[in-house]
Amino acid sequence: MSDKADPQTMADFFKPRLNARFKTWLKICANCALCADTCHFYLANDRKPEMIPAYKVRFINEILKGKVTIDDDYLKKMYETVYYECNMCRRCALYCPFGIDIGLMVGLQRAMLHNVADIQPAGLKSAIESYKQFGNQMSLTQEDWVDTIEWTLEEMEDYYPTLDIPIDKENVDLLYTVNAREPKFYPQDIQEAAIIFNAVGESWTVPSVDGWDDTNLAMFCGDLGTSKMLVEKTFKQAEKLKAKRVAITE
Amino acid sequence: MDFYAFVEGPLTWVAILTFLIGIVVRGILYYNASKKTDKMIHKYFSWKWVFSTYAKWLLPNNVTFKKQPLYYLTVYLFHICIVMLPVFAYQHIVMWEMSRFGWSWISLPAGLAKWMTLAVVFIGLFLIGRRAIHPDLKLLTKSSDYLLLALTILPFLTGYLAAHATLGTTGFLAENMQLFHMLSGQLMLILIPFTKLSHAVLFFFSRGATAVEFGRRGYSM
Ligand code: SF4
Ligand code: SF4
Repeated sequence: MSDKADPQTMADFFKPRLNARFKTWLKICANCALCADTCHFYLANDRKPEMIPAYKVRFINEILKGKVTIDDDYLKKMYETVYYECNMCRRCALYCPFGIDIGLMVGLQRAMLHNVADIQPAGLKSAIESYKQFGNQMSLTQEDWVDTIEWTLEEMEDYYPTLDIPIDKENVDLLYTVNAREPKFYPQDIQEAAIIFNAVGESWTVPSVDGWDDTNLAMFCGDLGTSKMLVEKTFKQAEKLKAKRVAITE
Repeated sequence: MDFYAFVEGPLTWVAILTFLIGIVVRGILYYNASKKTDKMIHKYFSWKWVFSTYAKWLLPNNVTFKKQPLYYLTVYLFHICIVMLPVFAYQHIVMWEMSRFGWSWISLPAGLAKWMTLAVVFIGLFLIGRRAIHPDLKLLTKSSDYLLLALTILPFLTGYLAAHATLGTTGFLAENMQLFHMLSGQLMLILIPFTKLSHAVLFFFSRGATAVEFGRRGYSM
């Protein structure tokens, strides 16, 4: 457990982030379990009561009340619950009579773990480091990215001689962004998008610099600073290239 | 002033005013806090989504009703009776007529009121029992949930016993049933703004907010 992770710091993290809705939800949840069988984790785990959506946000109240011992076991349980027992799909919110959005509050708990206790899945942690250093989750350099676009295009020359993937073209309708896994592992996805765009005569472009990776894994552990930085990069490109809209890959 | 007169008079007013002012203040507090902390909801606010969610959930016309119709209707009935009886029981209206306001309005037929009161009591007991047996509810339920349910049933149980003199006319309980009825009713009124029972008013804000959030994406809940 990190030094920062004392119960008071955790409570202090929650307090300003509990908006009017969260506070109300934590107060009025009727513990009625109507949300139980709307959750795929509950159904997939033989209707295990611990999988009831409402039960997955108990940590907030417990930490705020200060009545539990917060040790490594406690944080481990919390980590498992908020990452492996809820994927924040928000389906349960549709079935709760009060419209209580458990997914959002699980998100808040993830944010607390990440920002206060530095607990998060290893994959997310390394992705965030990569975002900060390279602007994308796959640690690709700007040259890697532009090179990939160029050889991708060359590879297709024989089949689609008129095919084009415009880079940094201004005044287009669409700024197209991809998942960084595409240039890294699946360049054919970019080729396929290009084929479609060219077939329908779309006015489009991809940016040559940061902002082309549209994944935002930082969001999943509540690293809003990094999350914001990523969105801003993309919008900056859209503004610079005067694109009307931003399109993201499938 | 003897104790009975005190409970019947001043305490009743205190309870009614605490309840009325309490729920209005709850609403105002929510609204103000939400203006500051839920800016997105206000930015995308639209009555269209809010009214459509009320229409679905104040009537049995929603996804959860379709999933669990029997349970939903049972709890629905429970709520209707709890809201209707205090306002439309003729014994209550008589009190309003005799009060300084002299107000009067239409009352529930006595026979219907009797069955509605029994419905509250039995559904309430069923809900308590269900919490004690059902594994899901056992895990979620806290002692306060039992307590609030019991306190909710109490005014209706005592009201029934008082109105029908079920326990006869002698003995401590029977002689004071009217008093217990008033006291338990007052307690409940006072508790509404301060406990989970505040969902009576917060329901509208909470549902409304989530309806706006999903409505913004084109889904009417
Ligand atoms: S938001 Fe979480 S708890 Fe709710 S249904 Fe989805 S996975 Fe289950
Ligand atoms: S979240 Fe909603 S449906 Fe689930 S237990 Fe609480 S009030 Fe009931």
